[in-house]
Amino acid sequence: MKQIRTVFLFTLKDAARKKAFKISTAFMAILVLILCALPRLISSGETDTSSPAQSGTESEYVAPDTEQTALCYYIDADNLIPNGRLALTQAMPDTKFVASDAESLEGLKQKVADNADTSIIVVENGENAPNLTFITKDFRSGISSTTATEALSKAYIETTLQSQGIDGQTVEFARSTLPMQAEYAGPSDFSGYLIGILLTILVFFAIYYYGYGVAMSVATEKTSRVMETLIVCAKPRNILLGKVLAMGVLGLLQFVGVLLFGVICYQLLVPDNFTMMGMELSFAAFTPASAILVVLYFILGYSLYAVLNAVCGATVSKIEDLNSAMMPVMLVAIISFYISYISAIATPGGGLEKAAMYIPLTSPFIMPFKLLNGDVAAADIAISLVLLLAAIAVVCMISIKIYSASVLHYGKRLKIKDALKK
Amino acid sequence: MSLVVSHLSKTFGEKRAVDDLSFTMEKPGVFGLIGTNGAGKTTTIRMILGIMPADSGEAKWNDTIISRETLPFGYMPEERGIYMKNKVMEQLIYFGVLHGMNKTDAQNSAKQLLGRLEVSEYADMPAEKLSKGNQQKIQLIATLIHDPELIFLDEPFSGLDPVNAKQLSEVLSELVDRKKYIVMSSHQMSTVEEYCEDILILDRGQTKLQGNLRQIKSEYGHTNLIVSCKEDILPLAQNCGLQLIEKRANETEFHITGDEMAQSFLKVLVEKGYPLTKYEIKEPSLNEIFIDKVGNPDA
Repeated sequence: MKQIRTVFLFTLKDAARKKAFKISTAFMAILVLILCALPRLISSGETDTSSPAQSGTESEYVAPDTEQTALCYYIDADNLIPNGRLALTQAMPDTKFVASDAESLEGLKQKVADNADTSIIVVENGENAPNLTFITKDFRSGISSTTATEALSKAYIETTLQSQGIDGQTVEFARSTLPMQAEYAGPSDFSGYLIGILLTILVFFAIYYYGYGVAMSVATEKTSRVMETLIVCAKPRNILLGKVLAMGVLGLLQFVGVLLFGVICYQLLVPDNFTMMGMELSFAAFTPASAILVVLYFILGYSLYAVLNAVCGATVSKIEDLNSAMMPVMLVAIISFYISYISAIATPGGGLEKAAMYIPLTSPFIMPFKLLNGDVAAADIAISLVLLLAAIAVVCMISIKIYSASVLHYGKRLKIKDALKK
Repeated sequence: MSLVVSHLSKTFGEKRAVDDLSFTMEKPGVFGLIGTNGAGKTTTIRMILGIMPADSGEAKWNDTIISRETLPFGYMPEERGIYMKNKVMEQLIYFGVLHGMNKTDAQNSAKQLLGRLEVSEYADMPAEKLSKGNQQKIQLIATLIHDPELIFLDEPFSGLDPVNAKQLSEVLSELVDRKKYIVMSSHQMSTVEEYCEDILILDRGQTKLQGNLRQIKSEYGHTNLIVSCKEDILPLAQNCGLQLIEKRANETEFHITGDEMAQSFLKVLVEKGYPLTKYEIKEPSLNEIFIDKVGNPDA
């Protein structure tokens, strides 16, 4: 244990002093800062569009003091929706609606083709009600047809009812939409989903980055021949475990540090009622149990891949061979990540998802997402953890054997089967 | 105390790297493991230390199989390896603690050895800023920091300038005075000849010769004659059956069949009245013995 602790402390101190660690920490902190500052920057540029609907004639309406950045030509040759342009202006105050006639349509189309911020709405007679045609440059540009249709529909209903002598209260009632809020019977919520995806990606990059650190550290010691001095002082097993633990703790410290910094930035910078796609962000998914399990999966997942990477580092004699030596492990990590991502996020609920939760190579990627979205049974967690721990034990035993045989082997790269024979 | 190596063998693929190697070291001093590059010296040392498993055979120190767990030996590998980016003192303490010392003892020992090898001023510098010779001294300190009884030095003099070589010689002498057991591998015969009482010559894994160096030489008998004379003695020497080994600036070395040949040649020179300033009858050098047993490594 003393040797493992000594290697651990030396490696930890050494790695923490490296420029790569300092730069990556600063980079991640800046990234977190920017991500947290974005909502405030975005919301400061937005204007409240939820002003109550106003009724009245076009001449009575004064458009809010909003910069109108988009232009929409409104053609209602038969005045089928008399308050149409007013309703549109109220619904979309950042768009200037200009009345036009059907004869100019072809010329206006050319303008729309040239400018993505320009659109045309054509109101024509339909079978039972006016028919709306929206002309934009392409499917991504122009005004929102949904918002415009809603505004024009309400205006049409209002005008029609008023013309039939219906009283104002009934008209107002007819215009109203039912209040709604979305609730989910399952434990999954938007925040858990979003943070789960983010965490899955972060775990993958952490495993990749710190695993690479372990391989590099081992390869550097071997290629610089320090291993020759080291191997007579300490057992290869102790060197390997000390290194893997040190890089893991360093990674965890950096990971947790950046997360804590993120929480502080979130509290200070993200507006109180910030919503994303209309939904509020919350950290309710982070219960103490889920947080502990997420950290546990990070540690175990990292350990599994780090031990494999250490073996890759031990098999090379030249540092430039390291990337090709690590390729198989990295491919396994990438494939495992995508299997987890696809099975849990893109196509949840299938057999692949269940398998990914149990397979030790994929479970560190999929389980954090599943835990934050609360739809994982305790038995699944237990089976997954037992299999992961067993895999780490087996991989460690094989890796220590390969590592011990490889560290003093120079020249042609040692094949795994030859290393196991030694 | 004794080091007993018995029947060590190792094969890599089709190649027999070490074949049934045995030797014993029963008293302190320096044991020379000699051989050309690839003879199996480093493999032998690694097997003795237990850092490379032997196919067969064993190495014991005081009747106990040697391993890092049972014996805190010192090993200076042929390929020098220290942490280039780390400070000298920091890594020496690291190696000391890995050898089982506590931090304070490791620091004190490192300070003492840095002073002895006159590199104290580099203690707080990264190793990459030191010259190769000084880096090699740091490597030696890492080997000796825990004051081991049994020390293995793999080609310790290679790459050293004369000043640093002299300093290493002095340290070796001090270690011998302190009754340390040292196994030194080298392909520099003059170095081995200077320090080793007992030797083992390896050639492609095979033991070609082993034993006490003085005894080996005496068994060869007086085979060389060195003469220093102003006159041209070569024609006379040839007439007397002497074979020229080398003609140097101030002396000439001949191969002789024995003391009788040397005496009769001396008689001829005296009769001729040639002024002699040196007339030395000697045993063959280790280099000659090596070539005799192994062949010329440069051939």
